[in-house]
Amino acid sequence: MGDSAASTFEFLGLTFNVGNMISISLACVVVLVLVYALSRHLTLKPGKAQNVLEYAVDFTNGIVRSSISGETSRTLGLWGFTLFMFIIIANLQGLFLHIDISGVTYVKSPTSDPVITMTLALMTLTLAQFLGIRKLGYKGHFQNYLKPFVFFLPINLFEEFTNFLTLGLRLFGNILSGEMLLGIILGMSHGGAVMWIVSFILELAWTGFSVFIGCIQAYVFVVLSSVYISRKLELED
Amino acid sequence: MFSYSVVGAQLYVGDMLFVMITFLVLMWLVKIVAWKPITKMMQDRSDKIVNDIDSAKESRTKAAELAQKRQAELDKTRDDANGIINNAKQNGQRQRDQIVEDARNEASNLKSSAEKDIEQQRQEALANSRKDVASLSIDIASKIISKELNEDDQKGLVDSYIEGLGKQK
Repeated sequence: MGDSAASTFEFLGLTFNVGNMISISLACVVVLVLVYALSRHLTLKPGKAQNVLEYAVDFTNGIVRSSISGETSRTLGLWGFTLFMFIIIANLQGLFLHIDISGVTYVKSPTSDPVITMTLALMTLTLAQFLGIRKLGYKGHFQNYLKPFVFFLPINLFEEFTNFLTLGLRLFGNILSGEMLLGIILGMSHGGAVMWIVSFILELAWTGFSVFIGCIQAYVFVVLSSVYISRKLELED
Repeated sequence: MFSYSVVGAQLYVGDMLFVMITFLVLMWLVKIVAWKPITKMMQDRSDKIVNDIDSAKESRTKAAELAQKRQAELDKTRDDANGIINNAKQNGQRQRDQIVEDARNEASNLKSSAEKDIEQQRQEALANSRKDVASLSIDIASKIISKELNEDDQKGLVDSYIEGLGKQK
């Protein structure tokens, strides 16, 4: 492990990681293709593919609506759906496809990179701030930081920061550990036939578990994002 | 093997930008490709279901109304039929009584006229026989008177007369 080799390049003073870019783009393409394939021939009486898509839409809508009420939840449906689909595909991608070329990873789970999960978390919390200001106005929004007492201001600010950190790091940690353990088990398989069989069984079990964790984490991410947003949408007292 | 260890993570700002932009583009594309049509379809469906429920309710009320109306008509018809049957029964009863009464009257009329006839005939027969007796008595008397008779002759005469009477009958 500890191998931090990555193919990077500089553009406009910003560092880009090629592996991340490929992984993200692949995940996006998979999501898009999947959604595209499922949304063909929409009818009032749904077919199989349409049912799958509608179930997913209902599922994410349910998550969003369970914590956010009113008009905002309807506009956030698309956000929740895209976020869920992207994270779940990103989580599973590394389990099925992991391409290393001369020590540099090119395809993996994008969500096993803290920069990406933190960015998703940052986007969510920025969205929360934005929606909060739009709903309550600047005054109402920033007054929430002074509740219940003025002295809670540092605690509230700190909470904001920890929300951001935990939201991003939880997803990153779960996915990274899954992939890391898969790598370790894979490494075990080089120690002879018996080890190969043992590691095959372990790999199988751990992959299944990682799929489970990937789905759970996507769900958790969307749920927590909704909760964080909903907390910004109401005046505390 | 992995780009990062947890501790030695480098902050690639370019990646952050890339994630944000790709995510927004993905969201936009998903909206165009699937979200709008599927949401519209689901909305259409829920509208249709609401409409169907409404119209079903409406038609059910209508059906119930119709059934009630039909029931009322049925009851009315049954009452009418009962009335007609009762009327017919009463009419029949009355007619039967009438017929029986008429028959009885006629019978009694017949009986009384027959009795009258019989009585009349009897009276006639009585009158006839009385006339006969009278004429006979006159005959006998005239015969007695016209003929002076001795006792034996008289006896013979009475006997012959009685004999004649028997023959005459």
